[in-house]
Amino acid sequence: MVTTRDLEAHFEFECRACENGHCRKADVETILSERKGLKEFYEAFKEHIKECKRMTYGQYMFVIDREVLPEAVLWWHNHPEFKETHLSTAVGTDERPLNGKFVYMPFLNVQVEPQNMDENYWVFLKAYMPADDPSFPSVAAKLPAALWIEREVKDLLGFNPVGHPDPRRLILPEDWPEGVYPLRKDMDYRHSPMAEVKTEFKEKPEGTTLVPMGPVHMGIEEPAHFRLFVKGEEIVDVDYRGFYSHRGIEKTGEGRLTYNQVLFLAERICGICGYQHSVSYAMAVERLADVEIPDRARYIRTLMLELERIHNHLLWVGIAAHLVGYDTGFMHAWRIREPVMWLVERLTGNRKQYGMNIVGGVRRDILDYRKEEILKVVKQIREETKKFIDIALNTNTFIKRAEGVGILPYKIAKAYSVLGPTARASGRRIDTRLDQATKTAMAYNEVDFKVPVYKEGDVLARVLVRMDELFESLWIVEQLIDQMPGGDIMVPIGDLPEYEEALGFTEAHRGEVVHYVMTGEKNKVYRWKVRAPTYNNLPAVPEMLKGYHVADAPLIIASIDPCYSCTERVQFVDVETGKVKVLTEAEFNELSIKYRGVF
Amino acid sequence: METTAKLAFSFIGVLLTFLLPPYLDGIARRVKARLQYRRGPPLMQTWYDLNKLFSLPSVKPTKSALFTWAPYLALASAVIGALLLPYGNVVPIDIGFNLVVFFYVILMVSVFLMLAGLTVQNAFSHLGSAREMQIILTVEPLIAILYGVLAYNAGSLNISDIIANLHLTPSLVMTYVLLAYALYVESGFMPFDIAEAEQEVIGGPLSEYSGRLLGVFYYAIYIKRFALLWFFVSLLVLPWVGPINTTLKAAEVLAVQFLLTVALYPVIASLEATNARLRIDHVVKMNTRAFFAGIVILAIAFMGW
Repeated sequence: MVTTRDLEAHFEFECRACENGHCRKADVETILSERKGLKEFYEAFKEHIKECKRMTYGQYMFVIDREVLPEAVLWWHNHPEFKETHLSTAVGTDERPLNGKFVYMPFLNVQVEPQNMDENYWVFLKAYMPADDPSFPSVAAKLPAALWIEREVKDLLGFNPVGHPDPRRLILPEDWPEGVYPLRKDMDYRHSPMAEVKTEFKEKPEGTTLVPMGPVHMGIEEPAHFRLFVKGEEIVDVDYRGFYSHRGIEKTGEGRLTYNQVLFLAERICGICGYQHSVSYAMAVERLADVEIPDRARYIRTLMLELERIHNHLLWVGIAAHLVGYDTGFMHAWRIREPVMWLVERLTGNRKQYGMNIVGGVRRDILDYRKEEILKVVKQIREETKKFIDIALNTNTFIKRAEGVGILPYKIAKAYSVLGPTARASGRRIDTRLDQATKTAMAYNEVDFKVPVYKEGDVLARVLVRMDELFESLWIVEQLIDQMPGGDIMVPIGDLPEYEEALGFTEAHRGEVVHYVMTGEKNKVYRWKVRAPTYNNLPAVPEMLKGYHVADAPLIIASIDPCYSCTERVQFVDVETGKVKVLTEAEFNELSIKYRGVF
Repeated sequence: METTAKLAFSFIGVLLTFLLPPYLDGIARRVKARLQYRRGPPLMQTWYDLNKLFSLPSVKPTKSALFTWAPYLALASAVIGALLLPYGNVVPIDIGFNLVVFFYVILMVSVFLMLAGLTVQNAFSHLGSAREMQIILTVEPLIAILYGVLAYNAGSLNISDIIANLHLTPSLVMTYVLLAYALYVESGFMPFDIAEAEQEVIGGPLSEYSGRLLGVFYYAIYIKRFALLWFFVSLLVLPWVGPINTTLKAAEVLAVQFLLTVALYPVIASLEATNARLRIDHVVKMNTRAFFAGIVILAIAFMGW
């Protein structure tokens, strides 16, 4: 079983806050007194804490014994005062080239006071595991929010979450052999082994019929496989198998990208919230480089983020209408959305994948005469959306389908760490834009807006939350145009420190996006972990489906605004330290010819 | 009226039955497109679609003969249903009690659709069939009762006799209102197209159908919708125009029937466009309520109002 006796000894990591290494000594006091709750945690787990440090503003790390991981996570998650604290996700890293150990690190979004970005903070709980026994006690046994991430590190890194209730394969395909772990540093990215196909589906409960929704289904826009166990039309149980869009780009990109190039890959993670990913990543790297980006860049970023939110919410409400057969709603929502796309094309040159960001600022300035145009579009969208909502919410049949369907109670939403509008429709008062210190990369601290929260938790509430948010976004855009400061739009970054870690985050339209970046040598990225909001929302969907009709299933699934490829496509880019090999185009073509039919 | 005129009217009836329904669907698509600020396809589009489907071979996932036959049987039922109705004053297939026959042949379209869905091993087909069955089982009793009121009001079970002998009473007006609802449900228009819901059960009983067989099924469904609408329009028009004894008058009546059918289709299309699909339990509940309303109407009719 898990022991840490052999781990007690050395932790050579640099500690930015306390230069003299071991933090049980002097400077710990100052760090711990910076934010509320840190000290309390330190007192509670004193015996097991090896080190603590401040990674960057509002991000704290505790190196902790692996035996107490579940207790430590739950201590934060169920903290009676910090009600909206949630387990954000976890990172597994192969640090064997550095210190011969594996790392598993859950991190939490701690909410001391909702919507106060200078009080709240992130807590990272880092646990080292020896190379020959990478196991840790499962957090998921007690907290469903950790279900997926523990299966993920099991798949990709070969960790063993002891006591995990559902240790089936999550990410790797069915024909991937056992014992091959793609994210370990000693695995070559060209290696693509095959084995016998082995499916692991959940047992069918007695007396039910199986309705397979997916991998290709009309009501799901992307490949995903929901197996509904039904009695008549009522859903009794649900099994989910996804990650059909996972292509392991991480290994192909290994060693080939610098920190600035990763940014453009990050933007391509999602077709809809690409800019959110790009800003998150840029924010993480800017935190690492410790630079302050110009105000104008922050404003332009915020403007683009909000425009993205506006068109996404319109897109989503259209799809929701389409799924209940209300095609008129669908067509009109998308018609109203189109001018935003045109506007964005005017501002950045692209309808999507703006290519607008760069680490340290933005690449294009917003010309002053374009401001008029933005305001005009905003005004038009506001009027038309009002009309649209008026009509849609007066369509009796639409309301009938959305009201009281797919209810997600607050408790379950919290247990699964559900994020974004889905969580806010269930009464969770969270919004990363205001909750965490986004002010280093965005300008949300300088505009005024409300965060709509509904308590009903059904599909209708999710519609209403998104529509309210849309109007808030329009209002934010107007303020940004009004307050737009002058000045530079970027600062150069220079070299990054080696083996430092930081987190970047934004509130995408679906919830909090986090990008964890650990730098390597020579301005490369050693570990990049992306967690899209759907990654947290999707595991809660089976809970929402139980007890409702097969007819409701597409709408309920869509109501979280799932983005499968976002969740599955690019998870990591790793750099094999020391041996950096950059492929030329010819070599790359050669490879693709050689491996044709294999990839 | 002479035999030639009768033959001519019957021929027009046959033509309308076979040619008009896809055009009506074309109108509906155009109207929906306009409501969605789109240009919409040409009126012939449904014909083009059918044409293409007819020319493609079908994939047959089962050995069951019913799978192949069901579309043709459904088509035959729908066509017979349409030909039992008056065109002008001529009923192409005039047999006694044709209200009862009409009731059953139209029902057979749904029954064949349902049976076809049950011949294949597909959860979605089965779900769709089960839904179709629930709709039939709840809406058909309502229709039967309303037909009963009509028959009682006119003292006949023959459609042309009923139409000739209806007299205006409060119960008749209420019957018309409920009948409009019931026939709309049976036609499977938008809030009630639950059995074939694409986003939910990927086409229901039709999900395993392709090519020619699918085309035939679609054609049957369009003709069924046309028959039900034509029946309703005939009830609306014919009783109030007085005795039709000249060919000219019959032609005028036929023109009115035709125009009203074409005019009502956009109304249906806009109802379709402004509604979301209901869930099966909603429909069952609504139909049950309507059924009890039907019983009340029947009681009123018996009292002579």
